[in-house]
Amino acid sequence: MGMPQTLVQLRTELKKGNRSSFYAKLSKELDQLNRKYHVLLERTEPSHTGSGPLAGIPVSVKDCLCVKDVPSAAGSEILKGYIPPFDATAVTKVKNAGGVIIGKTAQDEFGFGSFSVNTNIVPKNPHDPTRSCGGSSGGAAALTAALSVPHLALAESTGGSIACPASFCGVVGMTPTYGLVSRYGLIDYANSLDKIGVITKSVADAELGLSVIRGYDPRDQTSLDKKIPPVPKRIVLGVPKEYFETVDSAVAAAVWDTIKKLEAAGIPYKKVSLTATKYALAAYYIIATAEASTNLAKYCGMRYGQAAPLEQREMNEYFSAVRSTYFSSEAKRRIMLGTFARMAGFRDKYFLQAQKVRTLVIQDFKKVFKNVSVLVTPTMPVIAPTFAEIEQMSPVQHYAMDVLTVGPNLAGLPHLSVPCGTVKNMPVGIQIIGDHLTEATVFSLGKCV
Amino acid sequence: MTVIIGLETHVQLPTKSKIFCGCKNIVTFEKEPEPNTVTCETCIGLPGAKPQVNSQVIEFGTRIALALECKINNTFSFSRKTYFYPDMGKNFQITQHTIPLGSHGKLLVDGKLIRITRVHVEEDPARLVHIGGVGGSHVLVDYNRSGTPLVEIVTEPDMTSPEQARAYLATLTQVLQYLGVYDPSTKAVLKSDANISLKGGARVEIKNITGEKEVFEALRFEMMRQKNLSKQGKRTIQETRLWNPELSVTQELRTKETEEDYGYIPEGDLTPITLEQRIILKEKQQLPELPAQKYKRYQRDYKVAPKLAEALLADPQLAVLFEAASKKIDSKLAATWIAGPLKKTLNWNNRRLEQTDITVASFVSVLKLFNSRKLTDRNAEMLIRYLVAEGGQPETLIKKHQLTGSGTDLDKVIKTVIKNNPKAARDVTNGVAKALNFLIGMVMKETKGTVDANTVRKALEKALR
Repeated sequence: MGMPQTLVQLRTELKKGNRSSFYAKLSKELDQLNRKYHVLLERTEPSHTGSGPLAGIPVSVKDCLCVKDVPSAAGSEILKGYIPPFDATAVTKVKNAGGVIIGKTAQDEFGFGSFSVNTNIVPKNPHDPTRSCGGSSGGAAALTAALSVPHLALAESTGGSIACPASFCGVVGMTPTYGLVSRYGLIDYANSLDKIGVITKSVADAELGLSVIRGYDPRDQTSLDKKIPPVPKRIVLGVPKEYFETVDSAVAAAVWDTIKKLEAAGIPYKKVSLTATKYALAAYYIIATAEASTNLAKYCGMRYGQAAPLEQREMNEYFSAVRSTYFSSEAKRRIMLGTFARMAGFRDKYFLQAQKVRTLVIQDFKKVFKNVSVLVTPTMPVIAPTFAEIEQMSPVQHYAMDVLTVGPNLAGLPHLSVPCGTVKNMPVGIQIIGDHLTEATVFSLGKCV
Repeated sequence: MTVIIGLETHVQLPTKSKIFCGCKNIVTFEKEPEPNTVTCETCIGLPGAKPQVNSQVIEFGTRIALALECKINNTFSFSRKTYFYPDMGKNFQITQHTIPLGSHGKLLVDGKLIRITRVHVEEDPARLVHIGGVGGSHVLVDYNRSGTPLVEIVTEPDMTSPEQARAYLATLTQVLQYLGVYDPSTKAVLKSDANISLKGGARVEIKNITGEKEVFEALRFEMMRQKNLSKQGKRTIQETRLWNPELSVTQELRTKETEEDYGYIPEGDLTPITLEQRIILKEKQQLPELPAQKYKRYQRDYKVAPKLAEALLADPQLAVLFEAASKKIDSKLAATWIAGPLKKTLNWNNRRLEQTDITVASFVSVLKLFNSRKLTDRNAEMLIRYLVAEGGQPETLIKKHQLTGSGTDLDKVIKTVIKNNPKAARDVTNGVAKALNFLIGMVMKETKGTVDANTVRKALEKALR
């Protein structure tokens, strides 16, 4: 077997080569990587029978996506041991396309974080294990980066959870238009923001992966039944100045280098402004936590996940016992923040105000997309921080990591993070943001980077 | 002291499947299914499962909103109402908060307009089974009910007495029956919460009231409680109370300080639904004639007395029979016999018309026999009893039960009996009571019991006067 570079090459190799020896080797490699980087929470034995565009391709699934008969807990303690009786739609589509599920990847509990540290099993960055691999889809990106063969990782983003780890690990992360991929079977973080996407080694692989999992699903009423328009003949980049303001200068320089290279290759850029950007982060955290606080209400020790001893006299005491024991402090923080934001008397001031900001953010983007085809920005304001640095961060500094990704996530826009150089030997990602449903355009530019 | 009352009524809708999943709706089941056998990942709220709106629920809801003359909100949305309770799989209920299906409606109740604030649809939670009663050893949860569609109908505080609240609920129930969205003979539950205050006083909400009689009793109790407090110089506090039907009292549930804050937010898994105009139009066109309209028409076109019209309307099936029978026979006669003996017999046997063999033709034939004096009214009534209780055709039942005795026959028998018993006849005229009983017995013997004793007594007294 040669050294395949893309999923398509791997599929072709697997068709003619010895599959069982490939999976045996893969199993060994996964064991090794897991010991080093803690990327997988659950392993499933790879075996291959199906055919289709992903025939034989190893696919990992972020822990928050339900895989039938495989423990799926969204990286949380409270749901530990929960075995879903059904597959998420995206997982069904992967299986139907011949994909081989290899396991569940590590993540921040319920997607609450940007470094995959808000969980018991913390994945590490393969480029430097003293550094974070980003989050919340940290395991997915780290595994993709570390594996010697191409691989498809199903990931999920609410406020940047695909782009961030892709950027930190030097791989490709695609977050599609909200609704393009069915969320059925996704353990919810914030329903109006959650998007299932992919992390891969190359843009072509991401494009293939997305083409398999996308599509309207009657079981998710928010999923879209729309066509993606073709790539326009002329592409003009937009560079929003607000997206460089808080960025580390070396990271900004690497992104600018790429923009200049693209310009040299005949893709011009325009400087643009997205004035609502400064409110996006606050609005995002209010909406996301408000929704999360309702989604997490069901974890109370009644029917699945962890339970508490039945010594409480009353049901509310029992629910509290389970929830205070098994939710992490970050989950508790978000539940309290989100519950506060939707309480009578505060709802107008916070939750509804945040909804208005969200509308402004969308209008802001819609306006610039009249003049430019796609926007290019750094994905993250910094390179992957070390775990020691992360320990020094306050929750607010932690939240501020998402400043460049929350905009497109709030607006439900497709955005792709592609590696575009290194700083201190750590990868830097460039973020390509497109208008709704312009995935084809975003991918085509991604391939030029 | 003026009393101010508003009602919130919940009704389980008899749709084929549940409101947010494909599971069958147990309200339509003849037999109670085994606990937790009619469930799926969505209605028990498993992580990752998502709701899908059942379009039949929207149709039924639209029909109700239209019948209550609501403004239909063409685009409406769903919200999450969050509170922790063991009967809720998700610990939030999907309901309509911001934009309900319908708003600003009205219902005419005994000549008074009751304004309808809103009509919305939502999901029913699971059923809790308290082992050893409430406060017993433990509680079991049956998710079969979880996801049963409910419609909630909320009024403005327009009612001024418990009697009026009862009348409102009776009228509303009748409308729902006419719309085919509620059938009291099935397991579908109709429950109300009531808000009641004395003018200027704090508002008290009473939860968990089923039926018209209970609404009346609960509100009467609560009205008296608040009036007594006022007489004692005490103030009613704003609180939620629970109706206890066993003790016929309202009991403290929670005060304002401990009132739940439901923290409503939009249901992110359901996009706002835009009702197509053609669905609204279709429902509008298919709206049946409602009780209030029928009530007017029966008096105007059939000259039926108001009381009889009311009795006919109370059961849509009887109203249908009445209208069909009126085409073939005098409508007043039909009204009297349907609202009278037929209705009484059905109630006595605990049956609905559709559960009997009675057809328009068979019922009309009974009335025709009576009208042509081939059946006494006693025999006609007996025949109706047999039709309801035994089933079959009138001719067969007349033969089987020898219901041939007619008015003319009785006169003849009486004449013969008087002629054959002149002494007894004289004694009766002279006021000997025993003699009358003797003659009654003789007539009964001759007519083989086809005529009841009271009719015989009257006929004898008349003949001997």
